[in-house]
Amino acid sequence: MYPAFMKLSRFMAYLGGIMLSGLILLTCLSVLGRSLNGMLHSDFIEGIAPGFAQWAINLGIGPINGDFELIEAGIAFAIFAFMPLCTLSGGHASVDIFTQGMSDRVNRILRLITSLLFAAVFVLIATQLFGGLQTKFRSGQTTFLLEFPLWWAYALSMFAAAVAAVVAVYIAVMRVLETLSGHELLPSETGADH
Amino acid sequence: MSDIAIGILSFPALLGLIFLRVPIGLAMFLAGLVGMILVTGDVGLPFARLKSETFTTYSSYSLSIIPMFLLMGHFATLGGMSQALFKAAAGFIGHRKGGVAMAAIGACAGFGAICGSSLATAATMSRVALPEMRKYGYEGGISTATLAAGGTLGILIPPSVVLVIYAILTEQNIAKLFLAAFIPGILAALGYVAVISIYVRIYPNSAGTRGRVPWAERLVDLLQVWPVLVVFALVVGGIYLGWFTPTEGAAVGAFGTGLIALINGGLTRKTLAESFLVTARSTAMIFFIVLGAAFYNGFLALTQVPQEIAAWIGGQGYSPWLVLVCILVFYLLLGCVMDSLSMILLTIPIFWPVIQGLDFGFVTMADLHAHRAADAFAAGVQLAPDMLASVQQSLADGVELTRDQIKAMEIRSVNKGALYRINEELVAIWFGILVLIVVEVGLITPPVGMNLFIINAMDRNTPMSETYKAVMFFVASDLFRVVLLVLFPAITLILIPW
Repeated sequence: MYPAFMKLSRFMAYLGGIMLSGLILLTCLSVLGRSLNGMLHSDFIEGIAPGFAQWAINLGIGPINGDFELIEAGIAFAIFAFMPLCTLSGGHASVDIFTQGMSDRVNRILRLITSLLFAAVFVLIATQLFGGLQTKFRSGQTTFLLEFPLWWAYALSMFAAAVAAVVAVYIAVMRVLETLSGHELLPSETGADH
Repeated sequence: MSDIAIGILSFPALLGLIFLRVPIGLAMFLAGLVGMILVTGDVGLPFARLKSETFTTYSSYSLSIIPMFLLMGHFATLGGMSQALFKAAAGFIGHRKGGVAMAAIGACAGFGAICGSSLATAATMSRVALPEMRKYGYEGGISTATLAAGGTLGILIPPSVVLVIYAILTEQNIAKLFLAAFIPGILAALGYVAVISIYVRIYPNSAGTRGRVPWAERLVDLLQVWPVLVVFALVVGGIYLGWFTPTEGAAVGAFGTGLIALINGGLTRKTLAESFLVTARSTAMIFFIVLGAAFYNGFLALTQVPQEIAAWIGGQGYSPWLVLVCILVFYLLLGCVMDSLSMILLTIPIFWPVIQGLDFGFVTMADLHAHRAADAFAAGVQLAPDMLASVQQSLADGVELTRDQIKAMEIRSVNKGALYRINEELVAIWFGILVLIVVEVGLITPPVGMNLFIINAMDRNTPMSETYKAVMFFVASDLFRVVLLVLFPAITLILIPW
């Protein structure tokens, strides 16, 4: 089971990474378009080739319309998509100096409780996000410039948040089984490796 | 129980959870959730907030800088920029006593200029510099301590992930904060070089010698670092000059470093996939804390605790400097057990209103008048001879201009409001840089300095105790710099236009 969930988490991280790269490219193109546009509108170019700038704008050279909205929608998906891998590999920042001195048994119990809390919180986040999605779907609210329905962005994030919840529940179930059986079922937490 | 009492009691509850190894973001989220339920008496409010708050927290244009900067740091590593920087620095100063370690500091500073994360800087520079230092007979302790301290330059020298978070929490201008971090960052690098120089004199056997590199070779090596300069100038310069927003700057930087890595052959499908995974883990870690903090701070705002604390401290008549020093010492202590971003997200919403309510007297009405008068003269304002003489007299005496003088100079918008705005902005920037430095000290202070662990994991031959011993010299230099920056705010603020 663990390899399958690891694969799923990595897959989500790749999707998020691809989305992030896409947003980076989009932003760069928008910056490039804006500066080209500014250059073409300069007195010099207007002087030697009047009308060229307008022609270029008609071709689509210029800042990308609504890049801001696309980034906001995309980055939320990327961040939710990054969550499963971080949770599965125990990458969330914690303070372990005070628990180092405690017994293994206490530490295992703390780990179990933490995994249960994580599962509860991620399920709560996903279900409430689903509620938010329904609200946006019903209201038909759209973004300002591109006028795409806001629920599209919610749906993308909802999908990633649902995977995060599934992974968190899996971890909690495995921790419970570990406690019941007394065997290690998950690899021990690796900690944040940057 | 009153709302205030619930708010105050949430502090020990939260710290208790965190010290029981509940991840910091999760602990803040739970404290916020339970707190809101207690204050409002049912689950309606927190659940309603969750419907949109997770999404709106994550779909943030300004926060999207963070994954972009993280990816940029990985691309910079893949592009071989850490090697190029170290080689160039070692060529120039490697033959001096302790020179290879100094070169590592120089290279860290250079890498910090294109990387916003301390841990990434420490990790990537260790890979490059640790083997070299061992080769030239440097002892384990000074080598690991140098890289741990050098790693903090990743975040002190802009761009910096911590400053981005601080800017968003306090609603300050990211470009100005980056600019303000510049001189303190350079001072940090110089301080570390001085520490190495002193250390190798106290312990002469701790460092070996390295031969001189001919000048021709030095210049060739220096030419190899041009991509770093271009990326830094484009990103930080572009943001500052207003060519693009900080997010756009981060995107341009990530694209530029990615392109360099692609050309140098460092960026393949395999390494790209790896950078996605590493970026994913760090991003998720940061953003889960951001979400927890947003939720917890939402609860605190509901209880009015931050305002009450700020009003109470403001009403006690304590010296602002005493309050500032107490806060900085608190950070130094907390930094021994907690990471920098968590500390900032946890404490700034409480400390910033406190600092905001104090008057450090950075700008007086007379300063403001003098500043505006200088602008007016530069713009070529014409005055009658006697008026000119009286204005010059007032400016020379350093007193406020009279109503008539202001009118004659045609200086607009000189009022208390402008004074407060400028004062508050300068204090915010100065305080931000001070906090940045003290939380970064936490990365290299025993027992749980993250940089120490990362480097120790890469150099198993050096016992932690040796690293601890040598790193205390660098901590001393950090503390000295904090004192310097507290006493002379101008060092931080001199580059900031107002």
